[in-house]
Amino acid sequence: MAPATPFNASEITEKARRDLLLLLEGIRGKKNLVLEKALAGPLNLLVKFSTLQEYGVDKPFFLENDNVDASQRNVVFLVRGEKANMVMKVADQIKRIRRESEIEHEFSIFWVPRRTIVSDQLLEDAGVLGEASVSEWPLFFVPLADDVLSLELDDAVSDLYLRKDPTSIYLAAKALMLQQRKHGLFPRIMGKGDNGKRLADLLIRMRTEVAAGEPSSNTGPSFLGLAPSTTIDSLIIIDREVDFPTVLLTQLTYEGLIDEVFNISANQTEVDSSVIGGVAPQPGQTGSASTRMKRKIMIDSKDTLYSDLGDANFAIVGSLLNKVARRLQSSTERNSLAAKTTSELRDFVARLPGYQAEQASLKLHTSLAEEIIKNTRTDTFTRCLEVQQNLTSGADPSTQHDLITELIDRGTPLPTILRLLCLESTTNAGIRPKDLDAFKRAIIQAFGPQHLLTLQSLEKMNLLTPRGGATLAGGTGSSVKPGSVTNYTPLRKTLRLWDDEVNEASPNDISYTFSGYAPLSVRIVQSIIHKHSLANTIKPPTPGAPLSSNPLAQGLRMFEDSSKYIRGATFNEVQTGNVSQKALKARQMLSGHGEGGKTVVVFFLGGVTRAEIAALRWVGRKLAESGGEGRGSRVVIAATNVLTGDGLVDGAIEKGVFKA
Amino acid sequence: LAGKPGVSFEEIARAAYDEGRIRLATSLLDHEPRAGKQVPLLLSMKEDTIALDKAIESGDTDLIFHVLLHLRKKLPLASFFRVINSRPVATALVESSARDQDTDLLKDLYYQDDRRLDGSALLISSALVQPSLSQSLDKLKLASKYLSDSRDPPAVFTRSAVDEAQRLLQMQTQFDKDLANARDIPNQSTAGTSLIGLSTNDTIFNLIKLGHQKRAQKVVNEFRVPDKTYTWIRLRALVAARLWV
Repeated sequence: MAPATPFNASEITEKARRDLLLLLEGIRGKKNLVLEKALAGPLNLLVKFSTLQEYGVDKPFFLENDNVDASQRNVVFLVRGEKANMVMKVADQIKRIRRESEIEHEFSIFWVPRRTIVSDQLLEDAGVLGEASVSEWPLFFVPLADDVLSLELDDAVSDLYLRKDPTSIYLAAKALMLQQRKHGLFPRIMGKGDNGKRLADLLIRMRTEVAAGEPSSNTGPSFLGLAPSTTIDSLIIIDREVDFPTVLLTQLTYEGLIDEVFNISANQTEVDSSVIGGVAPQPGQTGSASTRMKRKIMIDSKDTLYSDLGDANFAIVGSLLNKVARRLQSSTERNSLAAKTTSELRDFVARLPGYQAEQASLKLHTSLAEEIIKNTRTDTFTRCLEVQQNLTSGADPSTQHDLITELIDRGTPLPTILRLLCLESTTNAGIRPKDLDAFKRAIIQAFGPQHLLTLQSLEKMNLLTPRGGATLAGGTGSSVKPGSVTNYTPLRKTLRLWDDEVNEASPNDISYTFSGYAPLSVRIVQSIIHKHSLANTIKPPTPGAPLSSNPLAQGLRMFEDSSKYIRGATFNEVQTGNVSQKALKARQMLSGHGEGGKTVVVFFLGGVTRAEIAALRWVGRKLAESGGEGRGSRVVIAATNVLTGDGLVDGAIEKGVFKA
Repeated sequence: LAGKPGVSFEEIARAAYDEGRIRLATSLLDHEPRAGKQVPLLLSMKEDTIALDKAIESGDTDLIFHVLLHLRKKLPLASFFRVINSRPVATALVESSARDQDTDLLKDLYYQDDRRLDGSALLISSALVQPSLSQSLDKLKLASKYLSDSRDPPAVFTRSAVDEAQRLLQMQTQFDKDLANARDIPNQSTAGTSLIGLSTNDTIFNLIKLGHQKRAQKVVNEFRVPDKTYTWIRLRALVAARLWV
């Protein structure tokens, strides 16, 4: 038996698609589809609209617009069921249609990913539960790329850290559980952070729950005998709260910058059509270009050119584009000149569509890159970067205050300012109370009194705190206090978070993604799966010594040493299931899987940035190259959502204004 | 019996409950690992707080909400608050759901808990949604009063900021009134210039742009805007007004 590769993106897509189409098939005849805006992106990734049409969908509507018409008898709602106000909106619309329409409607609701007791109660109170047929669409992970899975819970960050709502932890546990059911238990669950710990506990708890439910409902393969997976090496859970600075920094990879400047959602970004004006509509490149001014562009790794560019540091994107342009030109020219015989000519013509697609994609990315350069050349951008680099390399934060104040005075957008202040606060365990009050005053005066609330929210999220209120982790204190914050001063050295001689063209360390700063979150992962190389980067070995002789790389020492400076719980659970070690070994031998070729799953609770994804891919590539070093060789990244710094602070920003 | 898979403690416990042996039923339920089955039974047995604890343990927010809604209907508000107060997850969920729907509940919650900053924040955000300015000002006044007994540095800071916001709004109203009568100044290209709701800096910016240096200076003095800031604003405003001085 050759088990399928775990966390297989196409398999997950296929299943989600099938589930949805089956549900749609269950409703006879044509139907109008009402969906929650946040679901439109993921849906678009999974199913083509034309497919939906084949299944009888007449017109799509957004739930938020409240404009469903009565053109079809069947009305289908596709809504996330976890949020009470979404449920209320569904109830309101059902009532509205019932009131206004002449014909009798059939309502169906597909809750994503599950039907909740609370939603039933709310619908019942509204008096509409009886007339809707309710089912669930178990959509958890949405594959964004072959190695990136996201739950696409856009407000996971504000839910988790501002409102302290653990729904996303629960959903994450469910999603991971589904994978365990298919591919076996994670042999090891490691991680960092309090919410991460909660997730690990939930996973273990759910295992016993499933086991308890087993015999009474004898369906499906037995879960009781489920052994540790032979294809998965481990699950590493990183709580976002462990490492906020990485999110706050401006990402410097190409994909990261696209996200910073244009904002990517569900692999799509909207760009002003003037930017890519000359580009004719190409298959696969433009989505439905329905909007007047903005144009939707697919950003994904299926585009070969983009798969090279996306993870590269932006500084070298120019030369990469140049190289591709040259190669493209020479290959078309030489071929047309050399194509003398008919067979050669035929060969060339056959390859022509490929060239054309590449050319179009080249054109697109050149104009995108140009637009980004316009942004990175501005004074504000360079000044922000200066502050960021000084703060991360460990300069005295008070030297940066004049620059930040100047940026405020010059009317820099609020999110940018907040990111800088939060960065200072999170890397230095708070800001001196006197300075903090001055900044708060400046922000309120510059952006309006309503941001009193914004500042309060940021403090609740532990992003912007007065010093003294937040205690550092590790150090002299024997025990790590709960709620302590990550102490960057020792970490900068022990994990080499700052790298002066960073090489952007041919990176030799993950620090290339931020031109010097190595994301702490990825360093933690490295200290588990890639520890020999990491140890050698931190403390260069004596020449001639074998790769694995570095004392830092013994066991989990590096992980444990550094994790005491990092906030939150550290955990390391081994799941053995009910199978003895011996049987396990035998099973491993049988299935022919040795140490190599296993999957390491890295789960980011509370979001992951694109620069971190790039860094992890880099680690994954190195692992595959060095073969067998550390553990596992395929790295799959899973997260509650993909995040940028603006997205992080945006959860806190108060949108209301005083009006006459 | 414990540890043996496949035994449904829920069924046993239900049987015990039907026999009237409630204590036994509860202790039996402790062995039931599936919270989804445990909680409803506990609720029907009126073991509410145990049900809440079990729901929280399960991590399933839906179950927690379910129990909370049940408790909310059943208990008087004060004892409802007492129940959730010792459980941070429950409090957080009540807070976040009440934020959208039931601010009165929140107000009571904060009051009973003496969480003055949160209470004042609630008043400020309700000030932001008031339909008229005078009502907003009333809410701000309440927020300020709410904080007046507290000597904590954050409360003092918030209070002064709230007071400043009131002064700013009043000034803006005054300017709007004044400027409506004085529309004959040059360079007033921007139509419909209401100042209300702008930040201090933006107010200054707009006043300079419209050529009201004196009024701008008044705002600067009133709110002690730093010199450097003022210089920057002036520069930007003059450029925007195309007054090259």
